[in-house]
Amino acid sequence: MRFLPYILKHLRRNWVRTGSTILGMAVCIFLFCTLRTVLKAMDDARELGNVTRLVTRHSVSLVYNLPLSYEGQIAQVPGVKRVAISSWFGGSLPAKKESQDKSKEGQPDFSNFFTNLAVEDEPYFAMHPEFSVPPGEMQAFREDLRGCIIGRGLARQYGWKVGDNFFLESFIPPYRRREGPFEFVVRGIFDADKVREPAADDRVMYFHYKYLYESTGRRVGAGLYVVELEDPKQAATVARAIDARFENSEAETKSETEAAFRADFIAMIGNLALLLNSIGLAVIFTILLVTANTMSMAVRERRTEIAVLKTLGFSSRQVMGLILAEALTIGVLGGGLGLALSVAIIRGMTKVPGVSGFINGFPNFGLHWGVSSQGLGIALFLGLAAGFMPALVAYRSRITEMLRQV
Amino acid sequence: MSAEAVRQPAAAPIVDVRNVRKVYRRDAEQITVLDGINLQVPPGEFVALMGPSGSGKTTLLNLIAGIDRPTSGEVVVAGTDVGRLSESELARWRSHNVGFIFQFYNLIPVLTAQENVELPLLLTSLSKKERRERALTALKVVGLADRAGHYPRQLSGGQEQRVAIARAFVADPGVLVADEPTGDLDAKSAEEILALMESLNRDFGKTIVMVTHDPRAAERAHTQKHLEKGVLKA
Ligand SMILES: Nc1ncnc2c1ncn2[C@@H]1O[C@H](COP(=O)(O)OP(=O)(O)OP(=O)(O)O)[C@@H](O)[C@H]1O
Ligand SMILES: [Mg+2]
Repeated sequence: MRFLPYILKHLRRNWVRTGSTILGMAVCIFLFCTLRTVLKAMDDARELGNVTRLVTRHSVSLVYNLPLSYEGQIAQVPGVKRVAISSWFGGSLPAKKESQDKSKEGQPDFSNFFTNLAVEDEPYFAMHPEFSVPPGEMQAFREDLRGCIIGRGLARQYGWKVGDNFFLESFIPPYRRREGPFEFVVRGIFDADKVREPAADDRVMYFHYKYLYESTGRRVGAGLYVVELEDPKQAATVARAIDARFENSEAETKSETEAAFRADFIAMIGNLALLLNSIGLAVIFTILLVTANTMSMAVRERRTEIAVLKTLGFSSRQVMGLILAEALTIGVLGGGLGLALSVAIIRGMTKVPGVSGFINGFPNFGLHWGVSSQGLGIALFLGLAAGFMPALVAYRSRITEMLRQV
Repeated sequence: MSAEAVRQPAAAPIVDVRNVRKVYRRDAEQITVLDGINLQVPPGEFVALMGPSGSGKTTLLNLIAGIDRPTSGEVVVAGTDVGRLSESELARWRSHNVGFIFQFYNLIPVLTAQENVELPLLLTSLSKKERRERALTALKVVGLADRAGHYPRQLSGGQEQRVAIARAFVADPGVLVADEPTGDLDAKSAEEILALMESLNRDFGKTIVMVTHDPRAAERAHTQKHLEKGVLKA
């Protein structure tokens, strides 16, 4: 411990280099922890989650719709209580009135993006008890084809009240109309019971599937079917039975729990998991190289110093220890900073509109002890690995030779 | 640091180099740098080691300081046969028995003068406070107590060398070795360094072996030895 001030002095005197190395390390650990947390949440979601409902979708991709005829067939599968169409509309608010002009067509304004789903209201809300809507508002919604129900969060975000109207335009070509954007009227505002269902998102807007269907020439299918189960324990069996029913048909299905579906949905957005993993690895590797290079530079500059320390009577092991301790210190500081960063970001993510909806759906999303200790472990390992070669050089070097090379 | 204890003229040599050879092997080639050297230095002596460049002065000095080993022969310093010690024993031994003064001072740039002087004391069991005090005392001896907080780059060459000398004797070794300690200094600074070395020898009883090219520096020593083609001449 009496050598600690000596180590710190070195780090402090080269503070630019030390700082950038620590920062690099921190970014590396931050990326690692955050990516691991998201990926772990997605994995967990596949195993856990609400199993009272399944989601049945096209087996190839979410991009393809399913035939409407499937609804009745799914309802006949044993163990199925209810079925509801739910189509992801992909609508966004036109930024300004001008954005409706022809030149901007096909370029919806993504900054005003929120989840909007076309659903069959009766079965859908019946199987989603976590959404509570005043009965009168629900009634008004049912009676208005252009009516919609919005979550409390969305209402707050845009300052919408019951009776307000707005326009949405989808970026999905079959959901676009020659007449221009869809008009909607807010008929109800729902509250989401996050205790009952942590995935419940109140930044969503629901409208009538019938409105979408009829306005688009009665040609569109169902984006997906939400299936309510009679018995949660039968989730796997029922999912298999549904998919078996449509095997070898023009549109094969994939049925899974809602949580697993959410995980897949996120994965679909740019094949996230693979991308994130490879970015993470590349970054970690790069930073290892940079840090190792910095450390060995630091040692090369200090050849004479190492020789002097040895001449003064420091043993090879002590000198090696000093170098390693310096590298480890960088590792600890970088790792700590990286962890702090990811704690902050992960906390922040649960508050970002759009993202939070998905994330809150993941069972106990957060920086887990396992991930953070892995992150810290990597930081220490990077530090040690970077310090190892220089330390070995310091250990092996002979005083006379090092003094000769001044 | 008592002067009387080591001022016994009849005492056994504190540096005893017996029949030492040092051979460097470069590929198939063998270079005999030291060829049967014998050198006895009594305690309290001040020896100047001279000789042309490449004659092996530094090599001999390194052997005495225990930072290199002879190919054959014995180097006995302060009663210890240096060649018999393991690498780590040798390091420990150095920290107690020899102080090394370099031509280019070799202070550690990120440490202040006082911290540089304190460095050898980190290897002792002294407390932080004792280390501070002893380092400060050593700086007083070399006349730089007021520069304790300065970094090497804030000091002149002569001052740096004085700090380096303080570092060499702060752990109170019996022997000081110096490799051209004035080689990089102007005449005035060199004079100060030589006076300091004389004082360390006279007042503190340090045995000094100093390599130098400068005849005037050599005159300050009690004895001069000349190394030529691997052999010592009086
Ligand atoms: N590690 C080594 N490998 C090979 N040859 C060496 C090595 N170290 C020293 N020598 C050779 O030994 C000889 C003596 O070197 P040394 O440094 O002892 O000379 P010196 O008397 O101190 O010279 P100078 O006055 O220039 O400092 C030189 O010829 C040098 O090239
Ligand atoms: Mg030399």
